[in-house]
Amino acid sequence: MPTSSTRQDSAIWTESLTKIYRSGFWMRPHVGLSELTLAVQPGEVFGFVGPNGAGKTTTIKILMGLHRATSGAAYLFGQPLSDPRSRARVGFLPERPYFYEHLTARELLRFFAQLHDIPRPDADRRIGALLERVELGRFADVQLRSYSKGMLQRAGLCQALLHDPDLLILDEPMSGLDPLGRALVRDIIVEEARRGRTVFFSSHILHDIETLSDRVAIIVTGKLRGTGTVRELIGDRIRHVDCTLQGAGSLPGQLVREDGALQVRRVAPEAVDALLDQARAQGGRVLEVVPIRETLEDVLLDEVERARPARRDALEVLA
Amino acid sequence: MRSLLAIAANTLRHAVRDRVLYSILFFAAGVILLSLALKDVTIGDQDKVVRSIGQSAIAGFGSIIAMFLGVSLVWTELEKRTVYTVLSRPLARRTFLLGKYLGLVATLALQIGIMLTVYAALMTVQQQPPPAIVYVSNGLLLVELMLLTAFATLFSTYSAPTTASAFTLSVFVIGHLADDIWLYGSRAESPAVQEMARALYWVLPNFEILNLRDLAIHEKPIPWDRVLTALTYGLSYTAVVLGAAVAVFERRDLK
Repeated sequence: MPTSSTRQDSAIWTESLTKIYRSGFWMRPHVGLSELTLAVQPGEVFGFVGPNGAGKTTTIKILMGLHRATSGAAYLFGQPLSDPRSRARVGFLPERPYFYEHLTARELLRFFAQLHDIPRPDADRRIGALLERVELGRFADVQLRSYSKGMLQRAGLCQALLHDPDLLILDEPMSGLDPLGRALVRDIIVEEARRGRTVFFSSHILHDIETLSDRVAIIVTGKLRGTGTVRELIGDRIRHVDCTLQGAGSLPGQLVREDGALQVRRVAPEAVDALLDQARAQGGRVLEVVPIRETLEDVLLDEVERARPARRDALEVLA
Repeated sequence: MRSLLAIAANTLRHAVRDRVLYSILFFAAGVILLSLALKDVTIGDQDKVVRSIGQSAIAGFGSIIAMFLGVSLVWTELEKRTVYTVLSRPLARRTFLLGKYLGLVATLALQIGIMLTVYAALMTVQQQPPPAIVYVSNGLLLVELMLLTAFATLFSTYSAPTTASAFTLSVFVIGHLADDIWLYGSRAESPAVQEMARALYWVLPNFEILNLRDLAIHEKPIPWDRVLTALTYGLSYTAVVLGAAVAVFERRDLK
């Protein structure tokens, strides 16, 4: 159970959230999510990382009331998910959003504004501003069936922000966007965070997660593998060291010769001293020693690797 | 309530912008007008042919539209994932389902209204403006289609349109044969068969209770007590089926 906060003061709070899907003729079970316990604080940008099929979208669908958890509980701003009002302060952007194609962007947003009980004049004002903000103003009265994927994603951002939510839940918001679209999404996340809003987003693009998130959760095969700031997750561990030497003879490792210098790449940290001693013994000079720190990607790949036996065990138990 | 009406209005707008429905309506109007041609080649009560074809066309095409729209009512939303950005709002699933259903009923009322207007205009031009029972009969037709679409909505909450169409069509056929089930059951020699037929008669929907078309075609007086019974029966049965649809939809995962 999360300890650093309480259910009431968390934007998102889950307790042992579990989802088991059943499929096929024999209704074989498949674990979508296992005992997920998580707390997201108001005002933080929270990145949700994991490989395909890890349980990211399952978690988000449960939070948004689209799927029912098999067991466990979850709360949004202290309200249980079973109460539809728990979603009143949440803006949601699904992965690859689909909208009513017979509507224009303006009509769609007016429809959603009605579902939030926003008075028409306020809604129209906000819709106009939002469409301009995502550069869809010129296409506000064009039916959504003519929109490109990127334009739909922008319209999706508008509908998520329409009611000025305190919590934004974005499922792969950068997926399939061009660099301009990705920059727009990043800007919106930063701006909403600056306004004190909470942002919970999943992404495959780890660079975005690293640069935008205050905290990150790693999920693999439906299980939470770690939570913390990027620095906490990565730690100070040095993955390997690149050494550049001059005048040395033959050395072990991955060698690259450039402008008379010899670069030895991906040297294990514990082997650096021996390597440098060997180079000096050959009359070489050390030009540069660059420690390469672990990235979030390294941590994620390690977790995936570590999860492999656990996944086999889980499948055997279910079988 | 505002959410319910917003969803209903959106469902109606979707139908109004659907070209397939215009084709069906156009075809229905064609059949109603075609009855004039048949009048001239009929021996006997020529006006009755026009009334019969006209009112049967309204009921027939109304049923086609009801099934066409009803079976895909929820499925399309799930398949196209448009439901994600709707149900992720502070909205109960039952509000969504009932709003969709209400929009569908509004669409059916509009379609019946248009076909009835064409029919009434045709009859008025023929110096035979329809009597009040024609309008009452079509009002009950709407209740009949409300019950049919409630079944279609129920099937649509858990099965694909093809399967839902087969189920709905079965309900439609059985619902029009309910009186025959009673008749054949009462003539059976085995008490067990008689009991089974009676049970089926009471459990299965009986669309014939809602059918006043024969009286309307023959321009009989309005049997108000029968109308009241039919209304109570149709609306109560619809409420029960919709309740089942809500119960199924509340529990399912949206893919």
